[in-house]
Amino acid sequence: MPELRKDPIIGRWVIVSTERAKKPDHFISASEGPQEGECPFCEGRESHTPPEISALRKQGEKNKPGWQIRVVPSIAPFLRIEGELDRRGHGMYDIMNGIGAHEVVIETPRHISNIADLPAEQISDILTVYRERLIDLERDSRFKYVLIFKNYGWSAGSGRLKHSRSQLIATPVTPKRVKEELVGARQYFEYHERCIFCDIIRQELEQKERVVLDLNGFLAIAPFASRFPFEVWILPKKHSSDYAHSDPAHRIDLAKVLKLVLQKLKIGLNDPAYNYIIHTAPFRRQKLGYWKTIDQDYHWHIEIIPRLTRVAGFEWGTGFYICPLAPEEAGKFLREVKV
Amino acid sequence: MAELRRDPIVGRWVIIDTDHPSGPEDFEKEPLAFRGGDCPFCYGNEATTPPEIEVIRDPATESNKPGWLVRVVANKFPALQIEGALERRGLGLYDMSNGIGAHEIIVQTPYHHKELSDLEDYEVENVIKMYCRRMADLYKDTRFKYILLFKNYGPASGASLEHPHTQLIALPMIPKNVQEELDGAFKYFDYRERCIFCDINRQELQEKERIVFESKYFLAFCPYVSRFPFEVWLVPKKHQDAFCQMTHEQILELAKMLKETLQRIKDVLLHPAYNFIIHTSPINTEHREGYHWHIELMPKLTRVAGFEWGTGFYIVPTPPELAAKYLRGEK
Repeated sequence: MPELRKDPIIGRWVIVSTERAKKPDHFISASEGPQEGECPFCEGRESHTPPEISALRKQGEKNKPGWQIRVVPSIAPFLRIEGELDRRGHGMYDIMNGIGAHEVVIETPRHISNIADLPAEQISDILTVYRERLIDLERDSRFKYVLIFKNYGWSAGSGRLKHSRSQLIATPVTPKRVKEELVGARQYFEYHERCIFCDIIRQELEQKERVVLDLNGFLAIAPFASRFPFEVWILPKKHSSDYAHSDPAHRIDLAKVLKLVLQKLKIGLNDPAYNYIIHTAPFRRQKLGYWKTIDQDYHWHIEIIPRLTRVAGFEWGTGFYICPLAPEEAGKFLREVKV
Repeated sequence: MAELRRDPIVGRWVIIDTDHPSGPEDFEKEPLAFRGGDCPFCYGNEATTPPEIEVIRDPATESNKPGWLVRVVANKFPALQIEGALERRGLGLYDMSNGIGAHEIIVQTPYHHKELSDLEDYEVENVIKMYCRRMADLYKDTRFKYILLFKNYGPASGASLEHPHTQLIALPMIPKNVQEELDGAFKYFDYRERCIFCDINRQELQEKERIVFESKYFLAFCPYVSRFPFEVWLVPKKHQDAFCQMTHEQILELAKMLKETLQRIKDVLLHPAYNFIIHTSPINTEHREGYHWHIELMPKLTRVAGFEWGTGFYIVPTPPELAAKYLRGEK
């Protein structure tokens, strides 16, 4: 009998198939995607991108070789940074101009495609760059939220270019999906006066079966109501609501955990496409008074989703997900992958 | 500058690329290659599926044998199962329930290669009549609160079998996305005492630029807040709560419209994968005014990436005004 599980934070139901259950090796991915062209992100080709916003470099001038990590505006931005926010109505519809920031974090000067193949120290530097960009964009009062995410591989929505990078999009509204999670966490806190993520961590550590890794103050789990096979969340065990203001000393520990989890996916599932997304508190500016208890009720974390199945009509229509692999199986499989 | 538009029903924002709008040729599609092989839905293979639940067939032929036009069977690998009582329980802080529901397959035609748009009008009518019959039958089961009818066509749409079919899933609860849409529509109705979909129809008919075509009973348009390029909605012009309430005349017309819309999408986008979903009122719950059934049709041309997952925003590379122009045949 299939099982329906409810995500305790946002209330989304997931169907965990048992009848149509697949073995983990069913999902091992096949390589795919078109050939790539010349890469504008490699060292020496700095003039092929818009001028850099910031860079981590040991030597050399701006927009010249010698960098380790480089942040540039997107060549094809969804949103643009120039201009005033303009909201208006159009008959019964609401419309707003596309103000925002869309940046690309180029994670290595070399043409390496998977961040899992970079040294932990480099990943730690990337995580630090994320933080610096968040703090910088927070100063722009037009923005409410910054989403940091990575699309790796063709079916994860990455383009033709394979050079390892992540993206950062600042939006003038708190996105719906983010708000649902924040509201869910706040409601739980109002009743229990505890952080729901801390409670999840406690229960996962007790039950153990969905734990992928428990290392250096971070916990990696296959969540109870996984939407996708081999979905993994990485959470700091110590409560912290905001990635930007988390303890910098822990960044190398997080880098090691992130690298290990991504290596396990790569080795265990034959280098699948994946997305990861950093879930963190929105910008909260004193004058607005939103999100008063957020420091206590929200808990930043990273969600990793390997792209092994396709979202079909049923998921679009209902918001239900059908997960063909029980997270307990995924947890076991990933625990056992040797890196 | 791109435009952000907000869906008036569920409040979702989408980003419409008005700067560099993509035309039909700008999308890289996965080829629709037919794998062939043995198909459980073809004539002669009736024994390889669970027995038929309902069928339209030549009265001279036997059940579970060739001679049918439209055939409904239980899904062999159901996401949910029909037997048993609904049981909800907790596991520490988590909630769960057993997977009660119905999961049926409506095989649209015995022909393996004939998509809805390739069928004769009367054949499409049969398919739509069958949708209505299955819905009406499942309404009687009071465990169910919602019936979802949807179609996945082509690998990029999530379809695993290529023989043309539609799926039906009956659920013991109203799913989250449906509830959001219902809540949005009811809220609008409570305040204005008008149906939001009727108002959308009115504004679309006034502005005309997003309309693909219309007939006596239905309107086909690219919604102002499309989530996907070339998304099309088919909406009854006159207020109607539920799909099953269609009159015989409406069914005949919907068959033509659906076929025509799919044909236009096929012509303009060169045979893309697509999904369509019938959005209708829930069942076995207290009736509230303000909902209006419709069909949402989404060609699968883009890939959903981290930004969409993380935010619930959608990025639409083709403004619906431009998509409608293509689908009207003006470009």
